[in-house]
Amino acid sequence: MLDVKAATGGEALYETVADAASIAVVGTAKNVGKTVTTRALVRTFTERGATIGLTSIGRDGELADALDGAAKPRLFVRPGMLVATAREVLARSPGCEIVETLGASALGTIAIVRVLHAAYLEIAGAPTAAGLRAIVARLRAHGAMPAIVDGAIDRIAALAGGDDAIVVATGAESGATVEAVARVAADLVARLRLPAATDDERAACDERIDGALDALHADRLFASVAGRIVIVRDPTRVAIRGRTFARLCAHVRLRCDRDLRVVACTTSPLARGHVLDARALVAAVARATGCPTFDVLAGLAA
Amino acid sequence: MICDDFTAERIGLAALLAAIAPVGDFGRRYADRFVPYGPGDETRATTAIAEVMAIARAMTDDGVAAIRSALRAVPDPAPLLARARGGDVPSDVDLYELSRFVASLARVRLACEAGGLGGDRMPPDADDLRALLAPGQTSYGFALAHAFDPRLAPARAALDAAQGRLDVERNARFDALAEVLGSRPHDDEFVVLRDAVAALPRTVRIVRETPTYYLCTLVLDGTLLANTRDRDAVFDALANIEEEVRARLGDAVAAEYANVLFTTDALGALDCFLARVAFAQRYGGCTPRFAARRVAIVDATFVPLRESLAAARRPHIPIALAFDGTAVLTGPNMGGKSAALATCAFLILCAMYGVPPPAASATLPLPARIAWLGGESSSDRGRLLSSFGADVVRAASILRDDVSQLILIDEFARTTGPREGRALVLAFVRALVRRGSVALVATHFDGIADAAEVTHLAVAGIATTFPAIADGDLTAALDALAAAMDYRIVAVGSQAAPRSDALALAALLGMDAEVVADARREYER
Repeated sequence: MLDVKAATGGEALYETVADAASIAVVGTAKNVGKTVTTRALVRTFTERGATIGLTSIGRDGELADALDGAAKPRLFVRPGMLVATAREVLARSPGCEIVETLGASALGTIAIVRVLHAAYLEIAGAPTAAGLRAIVARLRAHGAMPAIVDGAIDRIAALAGGDDAIVVATGAESGATVEAVARVAADLVARLRLPAATDDERAACDERIDGALDALHADRLFASVAGRIVIVRDPTRVAIRGRTFARLCAHVRLRCDRDLRVVACTTSPLARGHVLDARALVAAVARATGCPTFDVLAGLAA
Repeated sequence: MICDDFTAERIGLAALLAAIAPVGDFGRRYADRFVPYGPGDETRATTAIAEVMAIARAMTDDGVAAIRSALRAVPDPAPLLARARGGDVPSDVDLYELSRFVASLARVRLACEAGGLGGDRMPPDADDLRALLAPGQTSYGFALAHAFDPRLAPARAALDAAQGRLDVERNARFDALAEVLGSRPHDDEFVVLRDAVAALPRTVRIVRETPTYYLCTLVLDGTLLANTRDRDAVFDALANIEEEVRARLGDAVAAEYANVLFTTDALGALDCFLARVAFAQRYGGCTPRFAARRVAIVDATFVPLRESLAAARRPHIPIALAFDGTAVLTGPNMGGKSAALATCAFLILCAMYGVPPPAASATLPLPARIAWLGGESSSDRGRLLSSFGADVVRAASILRDDVSQLILIDEFARTTGPREGRALVLAFVRALVRRGSVALVATHFDGIADAAEVTHLAVAGIATTFPAIADGDLTAALDALAAAMDYRIVAVGSQAAPRSDALALAALLGMDAEVVADARREYER
């Protein structure tokens, strides 16, 4: 049994991501605490005097979920922070310093702003991986360290690289039991931690899959000779999961061109229909994923 | 419309428009409004082209590229200004974009000065708009600065102070809770594990209760409630002042609408002008003389052909030719007859668009339309016409058109019987002469020029014998052809003997030697 300790807010989580130039928070499902995790990171970095940059993939920080109307935690920003958000959702007051506009999202031009006065903000960032990459680069160019992305799994490949970290948020919305939630988290972490191909593996590569590695690919690979080296562009291109993924990894040497650095998990025991034991959940997710795991609201770490 | 799609494809209209495409939105809008020069516009066209040539010679390529690069970066303020005129209050992002427009305009003007481009071509400055937005300029962008209104600074200080008081009060409660709960809450919502406390203090309200923990928030009462109300009231006051300032700026911006449109129009004109300058710098050019019925060009380039040849690493040979009214052009296959037709048309097309024709010198008509006859288009196939049928339909259309036209005819009636074909071409040329058309007629039929009593031009043709080429080596055959072909176009006398280069070409391109020999015997019999 893993030891579950008290850990204040995002303090313990901070220690795992302190050196990252960008941090993407991705969830195993909706309403698993992504924004709560983001908010904890924002607070702990800000308390240490960091100039953080903040953006999202899609829409975050609104009062209620735009899709299902469920209440959402808002993002409170402090002076000095850099925020990239669609101009259409940028609060008009208190006024921010607009430092750049770029690209476009479904809600119009993305504005990078420097916060001048404390306020609640809604954040709607670039909807594409390429747009996210550009925004993170610009946030960093304007002095953000780190850039924090309230993310989405299929777009975070833009952040692949040694200085970037990924935090996986999971919670009761992902499963009915502690074990089920842990399984889902472990599956996602395993996929995101797909190792990068070495130079030797690239040279000896048997098959390169440019698009998504789906069930049909997997079926074909199962029928092929064991031990073949198969390379995908990045871990987000792996569209199979669970046992199929595990079996495939045992059958072929599945590698990627650009790997991702998953550094931690966070948990949320609350779902709309049920509640899980907070301590048990933190321990189970940590055990299943091998990642340091935190409940930033309850102040738990495992 | 200066030509149909079929003609446009033959004479390189798309290539010309791509080559003189502006780099910015204003330029694209300006280009959309441009009406090509036609009959009666000779003086305007001459002036425009002469100015392009003068600037192309006076400026460096880098100088032109620098201004175009600056033009590319200018954001379009028109939608924002239109919204402001409609009464919308601009956002800070709108005002930032306007300030970026002002700064980008300044960079264009600097680039013009650095490149030596002044006078009427220099876009006007936006002094009033710059002055209006200047208080908001920051090192990196724009902010609704205190300088815009004396009420802003105190209102913002009040907000910061109110938020500070709220933070102090909330932190004091969090500190107090830390002693009771064993850990310090940090956010509005926080979790308390059931087994960590015997009972929750009265300063805490449960938002949701679970078997293992309470999701809590601070009870909003007393000083905390007062501080929250105070912060919200101060926030509302600030928001009202900021909107007033933005509305005032919006009104002032709307008043600049006409000036800004004038400036963006000037930027568009500059963009289109510099695109022409860049074209002249790249391909050379001249200021043409305009004459209603004369075509005389020296060292002329059909740019699409030059680019294709360059891509294939083959040299391009400029051409020269001269004729009045209607002329007939003969010569061997692959000798450049079609290219000569296209070159004439391309040079005239350039003049119509105010672009220096790429030639050492040029005397050209300035027609209303250009028409190409000869060859099959995809629309002809759609109409189920044979090549001959399509030619006839197009020829009839050309004769019906009573506007001033440049007519290029490329082997009209080549796909029908030679006797009837020749008769048809001759009759058509005579019709063109009677109409006073400017036309160049490429044909393999003998004796058309003499019979129609028009100028006869001919491609000089194969000047030397071909070296032996390995069977199937098309590249070597084309190299040998290029080396042997004399592409000059010369006026020939009325008794000029017809050339028979087709048989030599067939041999060069790999036709069985026995077949060629048999053909030669048949031809000479």
